[in-house]
Amino acid sequence: MASIQLEHVTKQYPGGVTAVDDFNLSIEDREFIILVGPSGCGKSTVLRMIAGLEEITSGEIFIGDRLVNEVAPKDRDIAMVFQNYALYPHMTVYKNMAFSLKLRKTPKAEIDEKVRAAAKILDIEALLDRKPRALSGGQRQRVALGRAMVRNPSAFLLDEPLSNLDAKLRTSMRAEITKLHQQLGTTFVYVTHDQTEAMTMGDRIAVIKDGVIQQIDTPQNLYDHPANLFVGGFIGSPQMNLIDATVKKVADRFFATFGETDVLIPPQVMGADVAASYEGKSIVIGIRPEFISEGGPHSDCDTTIAGDIDLAESMGAEKFIYFVCEGYPCIAKVPGKSGIQTGDHVSLTIDCSKMHIFDKESGLAISH
Amino acid sequence: MKEKQAKKREKEPFFERHLGPILITPSTLVIFGILFIPIFYALYMSLNRISFRGADTIYKFAGIKNFVNLFTIDPWFKSSFVTTILFVVLTVATEIVIGVAASLVLNKKFHGRGFVRGLMILPWAMPTVVNAVMWKWIFNAEYGAANGLLMKLGIIKTGIAWLGTPKMAFLCVFLANVWKETPYVILLAIAALSTIPGDLYEAASIDGAGGWKAFWRITLPMIKPVLLILLITKTIWAFQTFDLVAIMTSGGPQNATNLLSYYIHFVAFKQTDFGSAAAMSYVLSMICFALSFVYIKLFMNNDDGAEKKTKKAQRRKLATAHED
Ligand SMILES: Nc1ncnc2c1ncn2[C@@H]1O[C@H](COP(=O)(O)OP(=O)(O)O)[C@@H](O)[C@H]1O
Ligand SMILES: [Mg+2]
Repeated sequence: MASIQLEHVTKQYPGGVTAVDDFNLSIEDREFIILVGPSGCGKSTVLRMIAGLEEITSGEIFIGDRLVNEVAPKDRDIAMVFQNYALYPHMTVYKNMAFSLKLRKTPKAEIDEKVRAAAKILDIEALLDRKPRALSGGQRQRVALGRAMVRNPSAFLLDEPLSNLDAKLRTSMRAEITKLHQQLGTTFVYVTHDQTEAMTMGDRIAVIKDGVIQQIDTPQNLYDHPANLFVGGFIGSPQMNLIDATVKKVADRFFATFGETDVLIPPQVMGADVAASYEGKSIVIGIRPEFISEGGPHSDCDTTIAGDIDLAESMGAEKFIYFVCEGYPCIAKVPGKSGIQTGDHVSLTIDCSKMHIFDKESGLAISH
Repeated sequence: MKEKQAKKREKEPFFERHLGPILITPSTLVIFGILFIPIFYALYMSLNRISFRGADTIYKFAGIKNFVNLFTIDPWFKSSFVTTILFVVLTVATEIVIGVAASLVLNKKFHGRGFVRGLMILPWAMPTVVNAVMWKWIFNAEYGAANGLLMKLGIIKTGIAWLGTPKMAFLCVFLANVWKETPYVILLAIAALSTIPGDLYEAASIDGAGGWKAFWRITLPMIKPVLLILLITKTIWAFQTFDLVAIMTSGGPQNATNLLSYYIHFVAFKQTDFGSAAAMSYVLSMICFALSFVYIKLFMNNDDGAEKKTKKAQRRKLATAHED
């Protein structure tokens, strides 16, 4: 049980790659925090620095109140679950799980008790005598979790633990890991490149790009109020539609103009003062697919556009509609019962009150 | 026409059914010829007294007398046997310890690693005869490089008769063998080391095993299968060491380097006592055979036990039909 503090942490690999740049992150005790970002953004590096597997170029890391920069991995009181599980192939499941306790000279009876308790929670009691190679991917994953659990560490570090599993197993393991977190009441730091995992599992999410934190917030807030273009595009599936536009004033109202289309910018999205200061300037509007619907306008906040449907992808409960609007490929999410077919020409309506507006130059969200 | 086709159809299954045996027959015959015939012929020889009269070879059945004689009458067999065991144990142990240690170093990243690795292989790539001749010259009492170097360094004043005293000669043959054979251990050990995933060591360092603990608990068990193979092959090869002794010492001085395989050669071709030589060959082969058996048992035991249990557990699990 411990909080984790990263203060101005920077990591430069030999050869000049700055994998992590001035990282500030305060993880609370018992929190389930997710580090999410595209491949190569430095997520693993952050995790490995917390674990002590990677040296820190500059900055400070605290686990609890203790500065751990110079503390060996085994003395940091953390446990790590690796992407490829890193189970010891020559040891049985039992021995894999008992290994750390044995090295700490824990009495045999206590080891046995702890291993069996963890195995019970993870439902792997029947596998204790097997070697890792005789296990399925999902079973190995559980063993890796079990190996982390037995030591009762103050923090769990998980590096893309589900990425080697098939889709179905991934979904069920997601729920199990969340449950495990609640059961154990320990700090979890979870790394993934998958925004779905991030959204469904974390108390808070830190979105990372090129070694820099873009935004840290709860899943809902990230979704509702992305701080910049990158977060807007990264969080949410299907992706937010991002369209370059110019601010135009017509009468008292402001519009985002692109091509022949004018999309209303309602005052609750961008206040009149701000909008006025952006008049004639470039912005990017972001519209989530679920806020584009079929048919004509439903309220005076709506803007209707026309589109040729490139592809209508039915998911059962919902349908993804791919179309091109003024040269920008867009996606709309409509109810599954919608009759839109590939090749149709239809009118679609944007709910402008749910629009996001970003400064084109800085990429930052202008106002919510 | 129809009849022919029908016949053909009848024939096909026959060939198909016997295709396997047909295909392996030639190689089986060859293996039989070069392996089993000599084995049985040697057995036959070992059970006979063999003498020559003119162009004729005369076999006289002697039962196990040749074998008994080895341990009773033969003046050198016992000492040769002891020397051989000593030689095998010392060389194999030294080669594996040095080889594994060197492979650990060579497995680390450093500048010029490829070059050093390549250089390491040289002694092993060299024909044994060349190696033997080279060491014979190095240890030459009058012109040898060993004496030259030591005298230049001022460590010794007068030359040492390296190959002239029993203990020294044994040591020299031992060194020559280690020098030549260790690279092979390094080669295989490096190959084995490079298959160990790096994250195992990371997991171990978090679990509390770094440095030596990681070596004993991760590295060694992971390269154990390769070490087993090395142990078996090295032991058998060490038992067969012949060229080094033949060229460097001819088994001397005072039988100090009279290894069994050289002694067998001596008895067979110098004393023309083929019966005794065949008996000795059999003793030597049986030792090698028994050793491989023991090694395999020793090393595979742990694994096997767990595997069997696993299979049982799997069967039990299947029986209760409760898989995830
Ligand atoms: N050992 C290393 N040496 C040099 N560069 C590295 C090393 N490990 C990672 N990198 C680089 O650092 C960046 C971040 O890597 P990583 O933390 O593994 O990303 P992620 O886990 O987010 O995919 C990448 O550009 C990667 O190429
Ligand atoms: Mg990674």
